[in-house]
Amino acid sequence: MIYLAWILQILLVPLVAPLGIGIINAVKAKMQRRKGPSIFQPYRNFVKLLHKDEVISKDASWIAKAAPFIVFAVTFVVGACIPLFSTSVHLPASDLFAVIYTLAIGTFFLALAGMDAGSAFGGFGSSREMTVSAMAEGALIFSIVPLALLCGTTDLADIAAGVSGGYHQFIAPILLAFVGFTIALLAENTRYPFDNPDTHLELTMIHEAMILEYSGKRLALVEWAAANKLFIFAALGVNLFFPVGIATTLSFGAIALSLLVLFAKVLAVYICIALLESLIAKFRFFRLSHLIFTAIIFNVIAIGMVITL
Amino acid sequence: MKEFLIDLPKGTKVQHSGNIAMFEVAPADISSVISALQSKNLSLAMIDATDERTTKKCFKIWYVFSAPTENLFIIPYIRLVGTEQFPSVAAIAPAMGWCERKIKDMLGLTPTGNPDQRQLLLHENWPKDLYPLRKDFAIDTHPKTATGTYEFAKVDGEGIYEIPVGPIHAGIIEPGHFRFSMAGESITLLEARLGYVHKGHEKLFEFLPLAQKVRLAEKISGDASFSHSLAFCQAVEQIAGIKIPERAEYLRTIYAELERLACHIGDIGFMMLDTGFNFGGANGQRLREIIMRINQRLTGSRFLRGVNAVGGVTKNISKTDQNKLVKELKSWLRDANEVIAIAENSATFMNRVKTAGPLDPVVAQDYSAVGVAARAVGIATDARVEHPYAAYAKVPPKQIACETTGDVYARFCVRVKEVQTSVEIITEALKTMPAGEILTAKKIKLQPDSVAIGCVESWRGEILHLVTTNEHGEISRVAVRDPSCINWQLVGYSGCGQVVPDFPLINKSYNLSYTGNDL
Repeated sequence: MIYLAWILQILLVPLVAPLGIGIINAVKAKMQRRKGPSIFQPYRNFVKLLHKDEVISKDASWIAKAAPFIVFAVTFVVGACIPLFSTSVHLPASDLFAVIYTLAIGTFFLALAGMDAGSAFGGFGSSREMTVSAMAEGALIFSIVPLALLCGTTDLADIAAGVSGGYHQFIAPILLAFVGFTIALLAENTRYPFDNPDTHLELTMIHEAMILEYSGKRLALVEWAAANKLFIFAALGVNLFFPVGIATTLSFGAIALSLLVLFAKVLAVYICIALLESLIAKFRFFRLSHLIFTAIIFNVIAIGMVITL
Repeated sequence: MKEFLIDLPKGTKVQHSGNIAMFEVAPADISSVISALQSKNLSLAMIDATDERTTKKCFKIWYVFSAPTENLFIIPYIRLVGTEQFPSVAAIAPAMGWCERKIKDMLGLTPTGNPDQRQLLLHENWPKDLYPLRKDFAIDTHPKTATGTYEFAKVDGEGIYEIPVGPIHAGIIEPGHFRFSMAGESITLLEARLGYVHKGHEKLFEFLPLAQKVRLAEKISGDASFSHSLAFCQAVEQIAGIKIPERAEYLRTIYAELERLACHIGDIGFMMLDTGFNFGGANGQRLREIIMRINQRLTGSRFLRGVNAVGGVTKNISKTDQNKLVKELKSWLRDANEVIAIAENSATFMNRVKTAGPLDPVVAQDYSAVGVAARAVGIATDARVEHPYAAYAKVPPKQIACETTGDVYARFCVRVKEVQTSVEIITEALKTMPAGEILTAKKIKLQPDSVAIGCVESWRGEILHLVTTNEHGEISRVAVRDPSCINWQLVGYSGCGQVVPDFPLINKSYNLSYTGNDL
């Protein structure tokens, strides 16, 4: 059983994450009264891209060539580190700071790769990504700090186990911190209102501008990594703030139930993202800092409440 | 009319025909004549040239003024004998800078004093000494590929960098190159370079038979097919002295307004889409599609092609269709207004469009802006009111839709208002349309040595077609001024100081034609 659980833990994120993107796109299509592609379309896209030849700018250095592998590897490792369906099966590096800054390595290399080929789009994509993620990083950490304070640990699995053990009197700060976390999630994953992931407007993009030079296999990897990252954030959000149902034993039944609960909760997050992207316009670039600042305020209030309650 | 034509140089003979008053001016006097006319609140709408070396041993340059208060075009012209230079008026009519550069590209006449002598429509790969609109240029010429460089305006300063965008874009739009000089995210200078879809329209007009000329006019700008062919037909009808049947006038009004409805609602949707407001984007396309299908049902063409003919229209609207259309448009407008109300209630959408891409009214005035862009800064210009054509004298728009702020939201609101007006006009026209012929049976015979102007307010703005005939009564030149030729020069002003992520939205709020400009 333990082997099965480990295999699941390691492969779950990369295998399931593209489905999430497919679901978001399908919901958005429904909201626009379009038929939309199948929810399995992202897998087909990856297969298609993996079969394609790629073009790499002659001005690009090793960074552009290596970045997709680094970015993908980062999400792969982090996906295996965080509590997904069980609080006991995960790689040892499940510390809050380890996870966040490992993800930052991916962001860093992607931003470098954006500038590497020397195209103007990549440059401003990277510049915007760095502006947003520098602010979002603080919001992200501060949103989890209230939980860490509650549980007295920065280990994510221990936090999940701790919060699932009860803290009903702290439901208000947990909700506040979750709002902050959600905003950080949208910023880190360049979703609305920060970025328009299905944009056709090359001048407004953030993430798509950075990866504009990629094609074929490397593009598949970068997009797959983006899907993984979104799944990691969604899973972290539901497992840290609302860990009800997460398995604490390693029985088959507990894991199966825990997986179902995880999928249901992550699905809810994905549907919320899709609804948000259907119902609002993207924010002006210079208003994004206001939104992140709002998230930090929520987080600080949550920390204050945790300390004083 | 009199008050416009006082204080002209002594000995000027004014020649009247239809709604045109034209007179020759010595090249040296043209600047002062233009200043005099401008001081009477007339705006210079277009400049174009004709090559009349074979018959009259000269080039003529036409300066078309449109009078805002009466249906009148005042056309001073100059003759260039033995010279290939003409005095530039770009200093007193800045919008004409592009017209003069076009003349330079196409006819090889140099506007002396125009500060910008770069090519406009023909690019570096076109040989320098080959001028396609000269009569001695054979249409089947295959020129050798030339080389050269094009200098964009350069901004110096610490941290200034350039972003070249296009000519190929990420979306399915026409090709055009934009050069942004940036300080961080804000635009310090935006220069558009067009001409990528130049396809020799004006040269083709000299060769094709008349019926095909009408089809060619439809293809000047696909989304304004009906308006362009209408402008062309009106000019030709004027030269031929044809009065079209009254029912045809009403039908032209109805079709022209259907085209306006489809494009305006499409643009309203696209503006929402470009802010990322997907709901509005999807609905804009849905509402546009309804109108396109009505077009298809009524005329067999979604873009109303093949409808206009010299002397009237070819597609009638039956009595049952008339009643059906009134009902359809009523429910369509209710539907459209619901979508627009949702957009107006969306705080995120409003935040994107309000204050974005403002156009300074002074700039708009100086460039005599046309169409939606002009009305969005409060310049009440509308050819349907100023030069009533088709049946607009009988079913006029109740008011000219104006806004004052000149930002993206103002252009959005102008379109929203015009949608309402269009439905009113169509409904009114359908109710009052007389029965009768739709196409005149008279034989079309063009007067020799004539000049006529076709003027139509397309959904984008005022379209002008200057048509001239030679001594045999054949069309010798069709000069087209799409509203885009003027308004493209304003986009850079709107973009200046804005952040680059807002530029696609600003550009969409103008929604200018590349092909209409490149011809």
